[in-house]
Amino acid sequence: MVNERESLFRRLSAACGGHGAGPGEGLPGEAPVPPEIDRVALFAKTFAAADGVLLRGPLEKALSDLGEMLRAEGVTALFFPEDDAAAREIAEALVPFGPFSLTTGAEVRGGSAAVTAGFRTAEAAIAETGTVVETSAGGRSVLPGLIPDVHVSIVPAASVVARMEEALAAFTADPPRNISFLSGPSRTGDIEQTLTIGAHGPRKAIVLLLTIPGPGVKITSL
Amino acid sequence: MELKANAFGRNARKALLDKTLQGALERTTGRFQAHRDAAVAAFPEFEATRERASGIKRDVLDHLDTYLARFIEEAEKRGAIVHVARDAAQAREIAARIARNEGITLAVKSKSMASEEISLNEALQGAGVTVVESDLGEYIIQLAGETPSHIIAPAAHKTREQISRLFERHLGEPRTDSIPGLVGMARKHLREKFLSAGMGVSGGNFLVADTGSVVLVTNEGNGRMGTVLPRVHLAVVGIEKVIPRMADLPTFLRLLPRSATGQAISSYVSIVTGTRRAGDPEGPDRMHILLLDCGRSAILEGKYREVLKCVRCGACLNCCPVYQSVGGHPYGWVYSGPIGAVLTPLLVGLPEAAALPDASTLCGACADVCPVKIPLPDFLLELRADAREQGLKTPGEIAAMKGYAGVMKRAGLLEAIERIGGVLGQFFTKGKGIGGLPYPFSGWTERRDFPAPAALPFRKRWKIQRGARD
Repeated sequence: MVNERESLFRRLSAACGGHGAGPGEGLPGEAPVPPEIDRVALFAKTFAAADGVLLRGPLEKALSDLGEMLRAEGVTALFFPEDDAAAREIAEALVPFGPFSLTTGAEVRGGSAAVTAGFRTAEAAIAETGTVVETSAGGRSVLPGLIPDVHVSIVPAASVVARMEEALAAFTADPPRNISFLSGPSRTGDIEQTLTIGAHGPRKAIVLLLTIPGPGVKITSL
Repeated sequence: MELKANAFGRNARKALLDKTLQGALERTTGRFQAHRDAAVAAFPEFEATRERASGIKRDVLDHLDTYLARFIEEAEKRGAIVHVARDAAQAREIAARIARNEGITLAVKSKSMASEEISLNEALQGAGVTVVESDLGEYIIQLAGETPSHIIAPAAHKTREQISRLFERHLGEPRTDSIPGLVGMARKHLREKFLSAGMGVSGGNFLVADTGSVVLVTNEGNGRMGTVLPRVHLAVVGIEKVIPRMADLPTFLRLLPRSATGQAISSYVSIVTGTRRAGDPEGPDRMHILLLDCGRSAILEGKYREVLKCVRCGACLNCCPVYQSVGGHPYGWVYSGPIGAVLTPLLVGLPEAAALPDASTLCGACADVCPVKIPLPDFLLELRADAREQGLKTPGEIAAMKGYAGVMKRAGLLEAIERIGGVLGQFFTKGKGIGGLPYPFSGWTERRDFPAPAALPFRKRWKIQRGARD
């Protein structure tokens, strides 16, 4: 196969060689950067435009709203990765609003029959597009936003960036296997071009916006 | 995929008489166009972004050898196994070998037009693999045994009744006219496949040279599932999909969803790089990237190289009056609409698809919407000239065009013909169109009436108008 590769590159070099400028030279400048904006306010707007649900404000109120939302979706199981402390904390705090059972386990990976909400702390959120960024960096699981019927992302307000470039910059030197941009629920227009929510991924995408950030800090406010 | 591009005329006529299809086409192209226009209007930087994207793609094509080599190096550094296929037969052989060596019996596939070029599913089936399409539209047409009719809405030609009947027959589901109900059925059946498949097959919207990443843009989330859950990931991608840097990705992500569906961004963008790392709880143990030449290096060498800038958004389909009238199937291969009319002859050879460059009114709408500024109308015209040079035009057409050119070059002759034609035309047709002319003009009139010559020629009317104003 190495021969096939060499022959491809011979064809390519013959086809595109001799154009003067080196690669990247003469490229148009960087995309214009818009003026300073309120990132969090813009994210709230764009995430809602992507049919996401954003919860913020006093913790007690947000948890009771979230509990009600999950019950309305028929959720009975709350799933969070073993090593995600904030996700665990939120899930545990939701139990009184249930009936919800907690799981970190393999039944979710195996296609559990229970209607499940998956919790995860996001690495970043992007104001420009209403996007939550979740990756496998550092061995983190991406399953909470993949398999469950409802996905709850915990987004520290300090992690909201203005543009996609800023979110990607952190991963350019050594990207993890998986970088996911999640912008609202899973959807399809494949039947009669009618927008329908919940094709393969979560039917509901929820963001809990944390205004008091920092590892090891007990979450008291959202 | 079987090539039937030169049957465009016959199949277009069939499509025009298909009432269900006509309804579906109006709905699909109308909605896509309205959404795209609204999204572009709401994004003031669209034009500047488009200019930048076009510049980046041109740079890529000028240095494809450099960027592709970098992509392969970075992808392999992170555990991917990169394969290169010169043509479809070789690509099928490689894909079948991968499936056999990995011991695959079930594969889930997300949408990939490139894989349609090489008839990938047949190759995998030949290697004993059951291939399940996981994009809802592709799943529907796979059950129906059909081919895609639109780049991003492959089942645009199917109604909910037809889909429910398919689900009843193939999945044993009860009949319903609820679209969410149908989506739920597909979700349930496909979920089982995702959880048990040994291999996920994907295309790739972009290949990032400086990181070796494959980028997938979807709304349903099927691309993501197929690249996270199965133990093997196979990405089948054309060599022209390379972009230089991860930092260039946002430029394209600002254009592709807006141009395709009118969204600011699609629900899911997955950037996957290499195999799962030590300590990762999920992700594939093996990643194969199958890079397709399949005619692309030959295009790169010639005057049509800019067609390789295409990001497969489908915007040129939705705004094309020919596509709007006949849909995707008459184009007779993988790609339809204006991009298909240019790309197909270049990939399969002009003699095999000489009918396609004629399937255009040259109205220019495709060039207006193209997010990477491919000069599609120029290319369509150029391909027609190539067809003439290669002896692919009929003597009747050549004679008619020569006659037309002869008249148009002589103002006096044109005026005389207009005057006589106006009188005779009005007398014989009573102002209606002319149909059923004998050869060589039958080539024109068997598909549409020739408008009756006006009683007052345009240039005369122009003079009168001008005179009235002055």
